[in-house]
Amino acid sequence: MTAPIIQVRDVVLRYGDFTALDRVSLDVFEGEVIVVCGPSGSGKSTLLRCLNGLETFQEGEVIVDGENVATCRNLPALRRRIGMVFQHFELYPHMTVLQNLTLAPIKAQGLPRAEAERLAMDYLTRVGIADQAGKYPGLLSGGQQQRAAIARALTLQPRLMLFDEPTSALDPEMIFEVLQVMKNLAVLGMTMVVVTHEMGFAQEVADRVVFMDRGAVIETAPSAEFFASPKTPRARAFLKRILRIG
Amino acid sequence: MQYNLTFSMLLTAPYLGWIADGVLTTLHLALLSWSVALLLGLAVGIARVSSNRALRLFGTFYVELFRNVPLLVQLFLWFYVVPEFLPSETARWWNRLDEVPYWTAVIGIAFYTSSRLAEQIRAALGAIPKGQFEAALSTGLTKLQMYRHVIIPYAGRIMIPAITSEFLTVFKNTALALTISVVEISATARKIEAWSFKGIEAYTVASATYMLTTLAVILVMTMLERRLAIPGLIRWGS
Repeated sequence: MTAPIIQVRDVVLRYGDFTALDRVSLDVFEGEVIVVCGPSGSGKSTLLRCLNGLETFQEGEVIVDGENVATCRNLPALRRRIGMVFQHFELYPHMTVLQNLTLAPIKAQGLPRAEAERLAMDYLTRVGIADQAGKYPGLLSGGQQQRAAIARALTLQPRLMLFDEPTSALDPEMIFEVLQVMKNLAVLGMTMVVVTHEMGFAQEVADRVVFMDRGAVIETAPSAEFFASPKTPRARAFLKRILRIG
Repeated sequence: MQYNLTFSMLLTAPYLGWIADGVLTTLHLALLSWSVALLLGLAVGIARVSSNRALRLFGTFYVELFRNVPLLVQLFLWFYVVPEFLPSETARWWNRLDEVPYWTAVIGIAFYTSSRLAEQIRAALGAIPKGQFEAALSTGLTKLQMYRHVIIPYAGRIMIPAITSEFLTVFKNTALALTISVVEISATARKIEAWSFKGIEAYTVASATYMLTTLAVILVMTMLERRLAIPGLIRWGS
């Protein structure tokens, strides 16, 4: 078996007295789709942000695609291999959608503009908004913006993708179109770590579910197993609340 | 008392030449000071929001130093006091320069203005969502590239109204340079009055110079603001 593409070992992250991550460990293998869920404030997003060095932790180690994130001397180069999608899209509002997609490929990867634009249009087509390429993000719907943000991350042709609550800021009717794009990505074999409250997505797409609470990983289980019979009382309580059953 | 307004006198020698020189001096003094101030202000503004504590402290010190002493006093300090502390070689080189008062005025106005600009820049940077910084970094841009391509162009658009008003202030502040013997348009007006006793005419020209240049600046900046307005983010009118 090949080594995991993401290895998180006993990571501890504190903000002052508050422990945001409490000895978190996690392995993710290539092609896997992992859904991280748990109550708000449980450290899901923080964990995700440790994976590409947006957050610095005090103990433990994170190895992504063979590189130790904490000691990595060239974080920008590593980050180019890790796509990230944010809750609030974070498209650059002063650039057109196309410019949003080509900025990093041109400036960080050194691709020629024509090549970057060809690639960008290709991904915009895949997420179904090629016709919006010349528009500014502020003129797009939330769902379109998030799809553009996904395309921006993909244009770097990353080895894995991180999603930080990608549908939490969207109207219900737009959640569907974004999840559809993510499902297609999963089908194509992209390694994905998804922080989300969309349990339908988790059940349908995720290989494994990681349940976190108060900064710790409480339970990791294959998706079907997790939803059929969560082992821990806390996971059971969480599922009960979020699925509004029982 | 009878006073005959004779503006036509201003179109004769030597007054016309003096006015032309004065207007030009005011314009390039303001533009040069402004350019230097913008560069310094940008650096200090970014230092003030830096994650590096020493840089932040330096930024705060710089801003409080230059914005809390009146510009007039700062000009006197640069002109009379600072040269005393220069090493003798440097002092000699400085004193031999052709336009010592002019360069002193540029330095004084630029530092003063940069401290005010740094605050505007800091506020604009603070108004940009944290996620924009993170998004840029997450795509593998370096910090420098992030500022150059994402943050500064974004902040610049937010800042245009504040920057415009600082720009206007610079034009008006150049009048203080007359106290260290820079012959800009206000000094020229005094000179014309001294020669001709035509004070009303002379100061009208000086006032008109400031009015017209600042109105031109407002016009240009308003056009720029409309042109650069971020669609869907910054609205024009309501």
